[in-house]
Amino acid sequence: MHTPIRRCLQALTRQSQPTLSLFKDPLSLRLLSSAALLNHNISSPLLPIFTNSKPTSAFGQWHHGRYFSSSKQDDHIKEGGTHEIEDEDDDSDGDDDDDDDDYDEEEGDYEDEDDDTVAVSSRKKVYTEEEKEAEAEAIGYKVVGPLQKNDNVFKPYEPAFAVVQIGSHQFKVSNGDSIFTERLKFCEVNDKLILNKVLLLGSPSQTIVGRPIVPDGAVHAVVEEHALDAKVIIFKKKRRKNYRRTKGHRQELTKLRITNIEGVEKPLNELVEKPSKSAKKEREKVAVSA
Amino acid sequence: MALRGVWQLKKLVVSFSDWGGSSRGIRAFMESHLPAFKEANPQLEVDTEMIRGQHPHLKAFYKNRNDRVVCVKNMDPEEILLHATRLRNALGRKVIKLRTRHVTKHPSVQGTWTTALKY
Repeated sequence: MHTPIRRCLQALTRQSQPTLSLFKDPLSLRLLSSAALLNHNISSPLLPIFTNSKPTSAFGQWHHGRYFSSSKQDDHIKEGGTHEIEDEDDDSDGDDDDDDDDYDEEEGDYEDEDDDTVAVSSRKKVYTEEEKEAEAEAIGYKVVGPLQKNDNVFKPYEPAFAVVQIGSHQFKVSNGDSIFTERLKFCEVNDKLILNKVLLLGSPSQTIVGRPIVPDGAVHAVVEEHALDAKVIIFKKKRRKNYRRTKGHRQELTKLRITNIEGVEKPLNELVEKPSKSAKKEREKVAVSA
Repeated sequence: MALRGVWQLKKLVVSFSDWGGSSRGIRAFMESHLPAFKEANPQLEVDTEMIRGQHPHLKAFYKNRNDRVVCVKNMDPEEILLHATRLRNALGRKVIKLRTRHVTKHPSVQGTWTTALKY
C-alpha cells in the first residue's frame, strides 16, 4: 500500500502550485486537503504546502485537474466557472503529469492526453482544438505541415548542418539523416514537420550561432515511422531479502528523416556522390577551395 | 511507416477463427474497424484468413521481406486496431536495440576536427 501513497506524495510536492489553481474558494481547498488526508493518510507537514502559498495568484489560471490516484483515470477538466470538487479522484502517474503540466500551464486551457500504455478502450482523450495541438507542438519544437503529395522532398545531400532540439534532446543533423526521437504525438507517418528550435546552423562557408535559437532557421523533416524500441527488462533484486521484480519496457520512438535545412547559405557547387565527369570537376573545385 | 515516402508494409493478413472465443475480438474488429482501416490505407492489401482451431493473429509482410506476427487472442477490437496501426507505422526493421539515435552518411560538413587543425 505504500507505493500509491509515495507516488501521491511525490505528485503532491511536484504539483503543489498547479493544483492550488483549481480552487477559487478556500472551502474547496479545505475539502481537498481534508479529503486527501482521509484518503491517503498524508501526514500533516504537507498541509503547509497548501496553505502557505498565495492563492490569488495561482487561482483562476489553470483549471486542469490533476488528482491523486493510484489508478489512471480520465481527468475531467472543466472550463470556466464550475469547478467540480474532484479531490476524491486520484492522481495519475507522475510522468504523465509532468508532460501535461508543461502543456497546460502555459495555455491555461484544458487538455486531455492520450495514453497508450493503458488499454485503449478505457482512455479516450481527445485534443479538442487543433490550436492546442499546434501549441503543444511548439513546446516540443515542431510544427506539422501537410502530408506529402508528390513533393520532391528528398533532395541529394547538401553540405549544411544544423543543431536542432526536439523535446530535451539535441541533434546535429544534415540533409538525409535519420533521427530517432521520443514519440511525437500529433503527427502520423509520412507527415512533414518543421523543427523550429534551431540552435546552430553551419555550412562550409558560414556558421550561425543562435542565442539560444536562430529565429530564421528551420529544419524540414518527414516522419518515417512510429515504432517501439526493443524490449528492455528492468530487473530488481535485493539479495537475501526475497525481493525480485521483473518489468519489461518498450520505448515508443519516432524516426524522422531530415530533408532540408534553411537559413544558411549553401555552397553552389553541389557535391554529387556518384562519380561522373561533371561531379569529378566539382569535387576538385571544392577540394581546392576548402 | 514510409521510407522516403514509400510505404513499407505490403500486406496485412488478418487470421481468425469463426468458432473460438479468443477470436471474438478480432471478429468484432473485422466488422467495425477493418473497413475504415482499409480505406485509410489504400496502398496496403489486407487479407482475411480463417484458421480453425488456432488463436487469431495479424501477419504483416514488409518490403524488406521481413514479416511480423502479432497474436491478438482475447483482445478488444480497439486493441487490435492499435496493433494493426503499429504494424502499419513500423518499418520492417528487426526489433533490436538501437545503436545510435542519429544515423548519417555525412558526419562532417566543415571538416572533421583533428589536433592539427588551426583556425
